[in-house]
Amino acid sequence: MNAFDLSTPSGLTIAMLPEVLLTIGAMVVLLVISWRHSTAADSRLAGWLSLASLAVSAAGLGWLWSGNAQSTGIPLMIALDNFRYTADAILLIAAAGTVLLSMGYLERERLLAPEYYCLLLLSTVGMMFFAGAQDFIVLFLGLEVMSVAVYILAGYNRASAYSAEAALKYFLIGAFASGFLLYGIALVYGATGSTNLVIAGAQLSSGHLTTMASLGLGLLLIGFGFKVAAVPFHSWAPDVYDGSPTPVTAFMATGVKAAAFVALARVLLETFSSAASQWQPIIATLAVATMVLGNLVALAQPTLKRMLAYSSIAHAGYLLVALWPNSPLGAAALLLYLLAYSLTTLVAFGLLAALGRNGEREVTLADIRGLSVNRPWMALAMAISMLSLLGFPGTVGFMGKWYILTAVVAQGSPVLAVVLVLTSVVSAGYYLPVIMAMYMRAPQVPLAHSENGLASTARVAVAIAAVCILVLGVWPTGALHIVEHGAAALAQLIAPTVAGQ
Amino acid sequence: MAEFLNSISYDRWIINALLLIPLIGVLPVVLMPAAHAKRVALAVTILEFVLSLGLWWSFDATNGGMQFASTIPWLDTWGIAFRVGIDGISLFMVLLSTLLMPLSVLGSWHYITEKERGFYALMLTLLTGMLGVFVALDLFVFYVFWEVMLIPMYFIIGIWGGTNRLYAALKFFVYTFAGSLLMLVAILVMVWKVAAVTGVVSFAYADLLQNASAVGSAAPWLFAAFAIAFAIKVPIFPFHTWLPDAHVEAPTPGSVLLAGVLLKMGTYGFLRFALPFFPGVGLSPAVSALVVTLAVIGVIYGALVAMVQPDFKKLVAYSSVSHLGFVILGIWACTMQSVQGALMIMIGHGLSTGALFFLIGMLYERRHTREISAYGGLARVIPLFSLVLTVVSLASIGLPGLNGFVGEFLVLLGSFGRYPVAVGIATTGVIFAAAYLLWALQRVIFNRLDKPANEQLADLSLREMWVVLPLVVGIVWLGVYPKPVLLRMESATRHYLELVQPGLEQTDNPGAKPMADAEARP
Repeated sequence: MNAFDLSTPSGLTIAMLPEVLLTIGAMVVLLVISWRHSTAADSRLAGWLSLASLAVSAAGLGWLWSGNAQSTGIPLMIALDNFRYTADAILLIAAAGTVLLSMGYLERERLLAPEYYCLLLLSTVGMMFFAGAQDFIVLFLGLEVMSVAVYILAGYNRASAYSAEAALKYFLIGAFASGFLLYGIALVYGATGSTNLVIAGAQLSSGHLTTMASLGLGLLLIGFGFKVAAVPFHSWAPDVYDGSPTPVTAFMATGVKAAAFVALARVLLETFSSAASQWQPIIATLAVATMVLGNLVALAQPTLKRMLAYSSIAHAGYLLVALWPNSPLGAAALLLYLLAYSLTTLVAFGLLAALGRNGEREVTLADIRGLSVNRPWMALAMAISMLSLLGFPGTVGFMGKWYILTAVVAQGSPVLAVVLVLTSVVSAGYYLPVIMAMYMRAPQVPLAHSENGLASTARVAVAIAAVCILVLGVWPTGALHIVEHGAAALAQLIAPTVAGQ
Repeated sequence: MAEFLNSISYDRWIINALLLIPLIGVLPVVLMPAAHAKRVALAVTILEFVLSLGLWWSFDATNGGMQFASTIPWLDTWGIAFRVGIDGISLFMVLLSTLLMPLSVLGSWHYITEKERGFYALMLTLLTGMLGVFVALDLFVFYVFWEVMLIPMYFIIGIWGGTNRLYAALKFFVYTFAGSLLMLVAILVMVWKVAAVTGVVSFAYADLLQNASAVGSAAPWLFAAFAIAFAIKVPIFPFHTWLPDAHVEAPTPGSVLLAGVLLKMGTYGFLRFALPFFPGVGLSPAVSALVVTLAVIGVIYGALVAMVQPDFKKLVAYSSVSHLGFVILGIWACTMQSVQGALMIMIGHGLSTGALFFLIGMLYERRHTREISAYGGLARVIPLFSLVLTVVSLASIGLPGLNGFVGEFLVLLGSFGRYPVAVGIATTGVIFAAAYLLWALQRVIFNRLDKPANEQLADLSLREMWVVLPLVVGIVWLGVYPKPVLLRMESATRHYLELVQPGLEQTDNPGAKPMADAEARP
């Protein structure tokens, strides 16, 4: 494939093909639902159209990817590299999974406003810009497009006060975080004279940060800290995850988190790589705090949804560990873990959505007692998901954790690795009781769970994801190959760091 | 026999076949009606045992290295491959696993009455996991099997266990998981340190062993991580607290496999990985003193606690702590006799403790209690059962002529030169063992038949005889004529001692070399 000149409109349009196609898809959905707006069938139609849009976008992505598209010179606005393509693929998987989970859920909960899907697609577009941005301005635009759509989605269940609370909280904290991020961007621009990630990085290549640049980095880290829900910026996450409709929670835990982490990885590895000694201690501290607090607090959660919310915080800690090494290996580990975590979380939230009613806030371990008796396949999928979250061999979660550990250890500092595994042991204390409740306790009433079926579309999503968890857990060669290529794109931008820092 | 096995190139496919057959067997177990599950499982495990018997003949006793080795590519870029092989140390662990598994299936025949398909599917998965741990020659593969084996056992305890099963299952899982994750970090650190020297990232056991010195100053940490993972599994005092819970709550076949095979993974880990990798740390005076002290504490403590148990099963569980203390002592003494003795105890303990758990399970099926005080005078009602229980108990005590004696005698003999005080104290453990088991025997099968509920007990059924017969035969055979077994261990033991030699040299002053040790090495 030819190299694109990203300074021309046509070159830029082709470079943004997946995003453009998805935006068109979102517009088509919007157009269709302005006629067909009220019944369950309309909602389903919008869902299928969304799925088709995602597929078209994926085809566009595949075309760019397989053509190994390159840019001439420094990409100005959006990256054309395997790191972006891999991230986009994960985001599209998360979005498609969410659509499949939502179709039955919206009908069941009587949330029959098909704009839902339009917002979902637009927020996916935002995510893809966020994750693929090569310029702070695009990064910020992507963040806002993503966030605004997700704020609305969080409050989509208008009948539920908790949903409204989630939306408001998310919006306020999100606006706050955007503010930090924007200040950080402004200061970095002030220090380097460029909003381009790579050019700014070149300006900082001496490794010495001026006060202004340091401040900018600090504010950026705070902004991202809020977005990825790292401790101590996490306090919004449990309430928001808890109050949102469950498929939206799944989307936040997979898509939003993945996009934010990929963008953070780009900023740290492309712009601030040579100043790694300044941010590595911060990232390490955040990671340790996030892993420890997320895992310990998750132990004490009475409901499954809150437990999964805190578990999601804990996993943000593991992902921060992947950023710490400032190496291509770490970036590859980040991508693999994001894939693993997205697949696993889709299964967990998909099943949670099927197990409860009214936002699933009340589902406790007692409610899933004996699930294996009446719903053996659901119980099996849930068990696989829990083991993958735990990082057990044979699941993709283990491969992800193993890769992160490898990246950290290869950098010569096993301390973070030790903290990671010790906190993983703690996580057994809340993942295993789920399995115990399903398999080792008798149902409270003989016919429990009889109505807790998965909708057919959700069943497809959960089944595919569960099979992928196992297949990639045993034979991850292909996925490893992809993420290694993805990370290799960043390799020449990452400044070599002294091992053992 | 060896020619025949050679003609079918047995050595090329046997290990992978042994690993694969149980997994294939899971399919019919799950898919066929529940009533057939146990029959299918029995057939698969017997097939497995028969196939594994060939190892006995085709094993080359003069070769101290790895045999039956094979490599299947897996994650090439990371130097990870499915590398397996057997030497004189793992050979008997493999045979012990394949022997105990069909017996366990037979032993669960009437014990497991619900969710049979799940149970037997898990048993077969467990078999693959156990064998995988013993044959893995790639540290990644080893780690995966080490963990994977946890899950079936966790479910077996948690679903089919006793009243307090959930607590026991969680404790078992978390203890082992904690240890093994630290081991994972240690494996990764080691691989990268070695890669920094050799330039090749490889998880292969042989590569790591050859370049283990590359870890440099990290060795104490790495050894500690490996050692804790294995010490929890053995279990070495004070890491043993999961064991009584898990053993008591597990259903009979679970207890048998826990005691018979799973505990041996810890001692096997020391022999295969921890000590050969880091002999300089593991056998240094300070670490040796600590481990030997803990081992002796385990011997005495396990025996004393066993003595006061009102629950027969718990008594046997604590006796495991005591027996495994001998194994650790033997491993750390590092003489030909002591290591062979440790291996003999590992085998013998698998047979005799396995048999004890089966017998206790049979009592439990009849009376639904394991309280020793609930029995008495059983010899008059069920003489055959009582005879078997007596023989097995005597074997566990270490009566000459039965298997327990050979191992413990070799360990004590071989360790005396290096650790005379420890041996002196540990010997009293043998006496305590006689005390707690004979006392239990007296209360269960002798004394007066004063409880009406015991008067109508049925003696061993044909099926139950088939469960214990192979174990009793093994017990007597190993006690009377252990030579073929010792012969097959010898080269591997010698090879092992050569590997850990650097660690010994730093502690020994050459003049005071124990006689047994000097004898053992030509």
